[in-house]
Amino acid sequence: MSENKGYKPSILITDDSEMNREILTDMLEDEYTIMEAEDGVQAIAILEEHAEEISLVLLDIVMPNMDGFGVLKIMNQRNWIEHVPVIMISSESSASHIERAYALGITDFISRPFDAVIVHRRVVNTILLYAKQKKLIEMVEQQIYEKEKQSDMMINILSHIVEFRNGESSLHVLHIHTLTELLLQHLIHFTDRYPLTQSEINLISTASALHDIGKIGIPSEILNKPGRLTDEEFTIMKTHTTLGADMLSELPVYQDEPLVKMAHDICRWHHERYDGRGYPDRLEGDDIPIAAQIVALADVYDALTSERVYKKAFTHEVAVQMIMDGQCGTFNPLLLKCLAEAADVIQKEFQDSVPVYDNQKAMKNIVKEMLYK
Amino acid sequence: MSLQSCYIALEGNYDDVIGRLRTERLVRKFVLKFLDDPSYSNLCASLEAKDYDEAFRASHTIKGVCQNLSFTRLYQSSHQLTEALRNGWSPEVEELFSQVSADYQQTADAIRALQAEGA
Repeated sequence: MSENKGYKPSILITDDSEMNREILTDMLEDEYTIMEAEDGVQAIAILEEHAEEISLVLLDIVMPNMDGFGVLKIMNQRNWIEHVPVIMISSESSASHIERAYALGITDFISRPFDAVIVHRRVVNTILLYAKQKKLIEMVEQQIYEKEKQSDMMINILSHIVEFRNGESSLHVLHIHTLTELLLQHLIHFTDRYPLTQSEINLISTASALHDIGKIGIPSEILNKPGRLTDEEFTIMKTHTTLGADMLSELPVYQDEPLVKMAHDICRWHHERYDGRGYPDRLEGDDIPIAAQIVALADVYDALTSERVYKKAFTHEVAVQMIMDGQCGTFNPLLLKCLAEAADVIQKEFQDSVPVYDNQKAMKNIVKEMLYK
Repeated sequence: MSLQSCYIALEGNYDDVIGRLRTERLVRKFVLKFLDDPSYSNLCASLEAKDYDEAFRASHTIKGVCQNLSFTRLYQSSHQLTEALRNGWSPEVEELFSQVSADYQQTADAIRALQAEGA
């Protein structure tokens, strides 16, 4: 702000009276870039194009075509009101008008006739306050991101070691992370059966990387056997679920950490089936934690679409169809709905050979949730 | 005619306006601008056309401008007319409108006198 001397924040003045606009412009144009709208419709058109640059809206109530309340309603619908402060200036000074305006998210209400010094001071204060808040939000995001990045890196190195020994693609872990996150975002959109917050979604996605750590305890002849496993070998292979879970529950530290608990559940139950025919505990339906259900689905999809020692890779379409047809186990119908809905996005994300998991975006979602809920 | 005597002629409150807008330059600028404001002719035209929504808005705007400029006399009559028009036509509209017209003429005459002197 102050370090950038040529920069003038923009103010949108919305008033049907040219004279009113001019009085305000005259008071503010030395310090601010002024945009003008004659009615609500024009104001919305200008906001549509410049919502990112506008630092403040001065808004009249009674105007032709669309009044000030109409403008506020649309600013709420499009979430502009969270970033663009509005000061209402009106001669409609009845309590019900003022109350309604505050309920619609205005920062301040100035009654006509206004005092030039007061208007000027409130404009300056509001703009400074919002600029500071924006800066703080960015700093918090950056801090959380840096902190998460460290633990994310450690987890990825660890799971890469496991995958390395499995001879599986080291992209598997990244794929699972991306898929888990995508499926969960879809899930919370169309059902409130699993009330997950953005930080829980992030926790599950992070913990998903550890789903196969138990494989470290499986002999490599079995892990990397090109042909079909014998019954006996398969029995041993299946223990990677309990091995992983036990490793985590025997950790000398961090026993009560949500990440460790989450990773434990995912390790132990990511081979359970919705119909109760999975392993190791034959859990059924929602007795299987939702995190484990999601990772199981992500795991199957990625196994199908990747090349393995014993099989070629299926295309995205074939893999989705096979899962939908129940050829690869039974899943929660809600999760299948998620997969169907997310199918296009998944295909797009995985077109590039290395899906870049956008951790920064996840951090933004978390900070947004902290601020606005 | 000085700006102060103009306010006396149009029955406004000079002390109030200078207290709020702070400089004589600004007050003079907008007082002179008042003659260009189309709201009064909008009001006449929309009442003629029986468009009471539009008449309400025009009257509301006159009221707002008068409030800004502390044109007390015209503010009072336009305020009453605005309330009478808030829910469409009402029996008092006619009488209140003729009061607004008279006050508008008085205001406009005073400003024209100020303008003539400045020129």
